[in-house]
Amino acid sequence: MIKNYKELSIRELHNALVNKEITPLELTKLALEEAKNDNNNAIEYLMEKEALEMAASLTEPEKDNMFWGIPIAIKDNFSTKGVPTTGSSNILNGYVPVYDAQVVTLLKQKHAIPIAKVTLDELAMGGTGTSGHLGTTYNPYCKHKKRLMGGSSCGSAAFVTAGIVPFALGSDTGDSTRKPASYGGIVGFKPTWSRISRYGLFPFAPSLDTVGILTRSVEDASFALEVLAGHDEKDATSSFKEVDKYSEHLEDDIKDYKVAIIQEIFDSITNETIKKTFLESVKKLEDRGVKVGYVHMDNELLTSLFPTYFVISCAEATSNNANLDGIKFGPYHDGKTYQEVMANARTIGFSELIKRRFVFGSFALMKENQHDLFLRAQRNRRHIVEETNKILEQYDFIYLPAAPSVAPKIGEKSDRLSNEYLIADNHLVIGNFAGLPSISLPIGYEGHLPFDANISGRPFEESKLLNIANFIEKDTHLKGIYAKKEGE
Amino acid sequence: MKEYNLEVLKDAANRLLFDMSDEEYQTLLNEFDIIVKQMNVIGENKKIDEYAPMTFPFDVYVTYLREDIAATPLSRDEALRNAQHKAGGQIKLPKVVQ
Repeated sequence: MIKNYKELSIRELHNALVNKEITPLELTKLALEEAKNDNNNAIEYLMEKEALEMAASLTEPEKDNMFWGIPIAIKDNFSTKGVPTTGSSNILNGYVPVYDAQVVTLLKQKHAIPIAKVTLDELAMGGTGTSGHLGTTYNPYCKHKKRLMGGSSCGSAAFVTAGIVPFALGSDTGDSTRKPASYGGIVGFKPTWSRISRYGLFPFAPSLDTVGILTRSVEDASFALEVLAGHDEKDATSSFKEVDKYSEHLEDDIKDYKVAIIQEIFDSITNETIKKTFLESVKKLEDRGVKVGYVHMDNELLTSLFPTYFVISCAEATSNNANLDGIKFGPYHDGKTYQEVMANARTIGFSELIKRRFVFGSFALMKENQHDLFLRAQRNRRHIVEETNKILEQYDFIYLPAAPSVAPKIGEKSDRLSNEYLIADNHLVIGNFAGLPSISLPIGYEGHLPFDANISGRPFEESKLLNIANFIEKDTHLKGIYAKKEGE
Repeated sequence: MKEYNLEVLKDAANRLLFDMSDEEYQTLLNEFDIIVKQMNVIGENKKIDEYAPMTFPFDVYVTYLREDIAATPLSRDEALRNAQHKAGGQIKLPKVVQ
């Protein structure tokens, strides 16, 4: 029997399973036990019965299949056949999908074992992990429950940060996988837009939405991408581009790579520990022969990231969620007319935050406002993407701290008009605007709280991105860290 | 751009088939002030209209039609499984013609 499964990567767990040091059923029981003892409010639905059944059926180890018998968690905005799926919204309480999301199908085909549907900001529209219908999901690094996990993939990040599972599915529309990863000191990976099928992922803003991967090592992230990437005829926006053997390129030579640091984004961060640690990591890349250059982006363009994202995402969200009406699924609330039935369901079912976003999105889409709001945001998006692509013509990657701070305290106010908020706290959205593959991974601690750096590459160059990320991970020696409980 | 005020926002919310409290509308008005101001700053860039609106990061071409393969559809029970108000194998709603 293995000593502490939480310390093991997917490869190490796989070896233990194949060598019969532990069975899938024993491992699943351990993970379920940890999940039950978790007090970070990260669970929407514990799949205990389903997981135990699935694990018990796995008797013949599959040597070439890294996910065989590996316990995983699924963000609750992915459809799971026969398993409640709410998007952490009251409007979907009781909803049980009749089909699996494509990524869930792929993971099940590999005999990964989903043990829980986990929390998110309501319908993935938020970045704090506080707006889901079950309340705040807490950061496992703070036993007093005073720190944010971040969102929207808060439950996925909390499960991986606490070591309960080595992999969780997330989604990323603005930074929803990569930001909570930073607050948990884990790996958060958003592949190229269209690289992974989104069939069965609740749409938020389809021009930005990407399936996200949360793990505790770059290698584990590469294994996950190998399973999830590829065209799916059920999602016409999924790419036909060939899927690489990403894990086989992790050790490739990186000395010819060129890395850009955007000076204005770096300057917008005031936390000296994060800046110093980041620069140490840059120095180590240079020591490995990587060429590093400082590039510039117009400050005004950078301060426009957040409003551009807000307008586009709200506008797309308001039309995508028109089907949530309490009639076909979700709680029914009676009324005198069918319009009143829908209005009652939506008034009661959506939280205030979601309603505000929908109203703003609807206003931005009104004919008389489109030029000044929606179309202007879309034009500005192209401006941002063109400037980003100019950098990526000269450099292979853009490397920056993932967030301006460690996990913030719950309720801590930030000045939403400051550069630190508008630029440093929102720069990861560039990856969504341009559809870039982008990965956050831990580089250091401030006190006992970890934080990440983020590196993005050109579309479909995941192999190169994971390759350099693997070397950054080697330099930090932070592969596999998790929030240990007292006595561990 | 259309002027926004409490009445306009209430109308927009009602057209989206939900309502909010007066306090919530006030929070929304404050948010509008900030975002509209920021969008106006973007509009000050004289060249902004030269950029074509970007609807997707890049094009994904689909140049084939799926094979027309017969499949078993959902059963009626399954299709109605998530509807809470139903009768006689159909979703039940208030009468449209009174």
